[in-house]
Amino acid sequence: MSLKRMILTLCGFYCVMGIMPLFFGGTDYIMNILIMILIWAVVASCWDVIMGFAGIFSFGQVAFYVIGAYASAILSVSMDIPPVFSIIMAGVITGLVGVLVGLPCLRLAGPYVALVTFAVHMTLVPFLRGPLGRAIGSGGSQGILTIPPIKLFGLAFSSDQLVPFFYLTFFLTIICTLVLVLMIKSYWGTAFLALKDSENFAASLGISAFKYKLMVFALTSFITGLFGALYAHYVGMLSTKMLSMDVFTILMIMMVIGGIGKYPGVVVGAVITVTLSQLLAPLGMYRPLIMGAIVVVLVLFLRDGIISPIIRLLSPLQRVVVEEE
Amino acid sequence: MFLEIIDVFTSGLINGSVYALMAVGLTLVYGVTKAFNFAYGSFYNLGGYFAWVLLIPLGVIGGYFSVFFMAIPFFFIVGYLLEKVLISPLRKYDDWEMKVMMLTLGLSLFMDFGYQAIFGPRIKSLPGIIEGTVQVGEVVLFQQDIVIFILSLSGMLCFWWILNNTRTGMAVQAVAQNPAGAQIVGIPKDFIFAATFAISTMMVGFGGILLCQKNFVDPMGSTDIMIKAWVITAFGGMGSIRGSLYAAFILGMLEAFVGWYFGMIHVQIATLTLLLVTLAIRPRGLMGRE
Repeated sequence: MSLKRMILTLCGFYCVMGIMPLFFGGTDYIMNILIMILIWAVVASCWDVIMGFAGIFSFGQVAFYVIGAYASAILSVSMDIPPVFSIIMAGVITGLVGVLVGLPCLRLAGPYVALVTFAVHMTLVPFLRGPLGRAIGSGGSQGILTIPPIKLFGLAFSSDQLVPFFYLTFFLTIICTLVLVLMIKSYWGTAFLALKDSENFAASLGISAFKYKLMVFALTSFITGLFGALYAHYVGMLSTKMLSMDVFTILMIMMVIGGIGKYPGVVVGAVITVTLSQLLAPLGMYRPLIMGAIVVVLVLFLRDGIISPIIRLLSPLQRVVVEEE
Repeated sequence: MFLEIIDVFTSGLINGSVYALMAVGLTLVYGVTKAFNFAYGSFYNLGGYFAWVLLIPLGVIGGYFSVFFMAIPFFFIVGYLLEKVLISPLRKYDDWEMKVMMLTLGLSLFMDFGYQAIFGPRIKSLPGIIEGTVQVGEVVLFQQDIVIFILSLSGMLCFWWILNNTRTGMAVQAVAQNPAGAQIVGIPKDFIFAATFAISTMMVGFGGILLCQKNFVDPMGSTDIMIKAWVITAFGGMGSIRGSLYAAFILGMLEAFVGWYFGMIHVQIATLTLLLVTLAIRPRGLMGRE
């Protein structure tokens, strides 16, 4: 997809998202869904950049999200650091963890990467619940319950007032989306395409797979950690439930619906999946059951995700816009 | 102190033998079909529930003997259908490896919560295959443990024999070495893929029946088992059967001793550390091939 078309699609989407609070500002239920859509859209985009563009089978995305959330919560609760700084520090910490995991991991062949990153995910639960986690202030199996809301210029962004928080998230989302788009379309993105097509040929042209993979791993884990931290200060409490397979599958459904490596697709996937998951929430235990079945059916029947048919449908319209410019 | 160590050692040996049975099945699937089965742990639980349904509500005659007898065709058919219906349609895509991972993860979630919906969220306990103890000097051993050890070892020997002495087994090896070449000499590749999947499902089902007697049937315990089986396969070298045999016993011992000395909560951390260190030194595991 060309840069122009990518930006146009994203612009259209975020313009629609931006005016949503004008209509639904009073309804907390819908505002909550909208905020979660913004957060998940970025987290899922990061995963798409790792999996679809860089071709790394990383299954650690939820783990990085949770690391960011816990890091910011621990920093602000135990050390009294203002949430604005703790969120940024959480992003940096998550980026560092990403590099630490990536260093041994990215030299390995595909399936090993999936395994090691997933193992990191699975190890986080006993770590956060055990004595080691309690020592750094994770609150054990109870979790952290009193995470302070974000305060900026004397304004408090908390879950009591959803509209200001929505615009804060919106602002961050747009910055991160821009960074990701620029990365995909820069020399990096091209290098990844070359690496994915033929790693040996790309290496012969002097592209270091390891270096670029590590860099993209660090950047995406930084952004993921940032949004994890934002989520922590939004909901105000954390527990290891966030690491359940349920959350992981929801993120995966976004990817499958959006199409792997079809970048803006995953954003549409996030909209559909978050809405669906909220609508299915009253079903309780049956929700993950249905989610699992959806993944199986979608992987079998939806080959390239939902974005390709949509683009084909919208292409006459977009051509008009592009030509007018 | 010495007796305690002997106890821990036997428990590591027994866990290791069952892990070996399961990991060999997993490494076989990866080695032959290159498919990454994330629902492996859920089939372990299927084994546990299969035995539970037959033994407790149905009270089948013959106890464990009939359970094993019925488990062979049951798991073979389940595994065969799974490959035919869910995995093989994906093979025509370029990125099918990733798609298989996603599909099996979804399947695993579906199965785990399916168990919860059908059998309820509480854990189930299976009766022991045999009661009583044996005393060797001062060491007391459970007869159950000895039987589990013997059964999983004989399961593995049986598998070894099938792989090396039957036509199907040799065809499986041929496909693992070179799929295109195997097809040229007339080996039905698709059938071999499905058969391999079926055999591995059978092995993990057996593992479930054997180990759930000691560890209970827990509907949410499947990810734990899956990670264990995967760590063993990666540690031993993916696709290397001998490697996963050694790795299973090493990790079984590690688990037993770390759990005994530091507490069970550290087992997963120790396992992961061992895996990361091994992969950093030998990126293809203990006995992995290029």
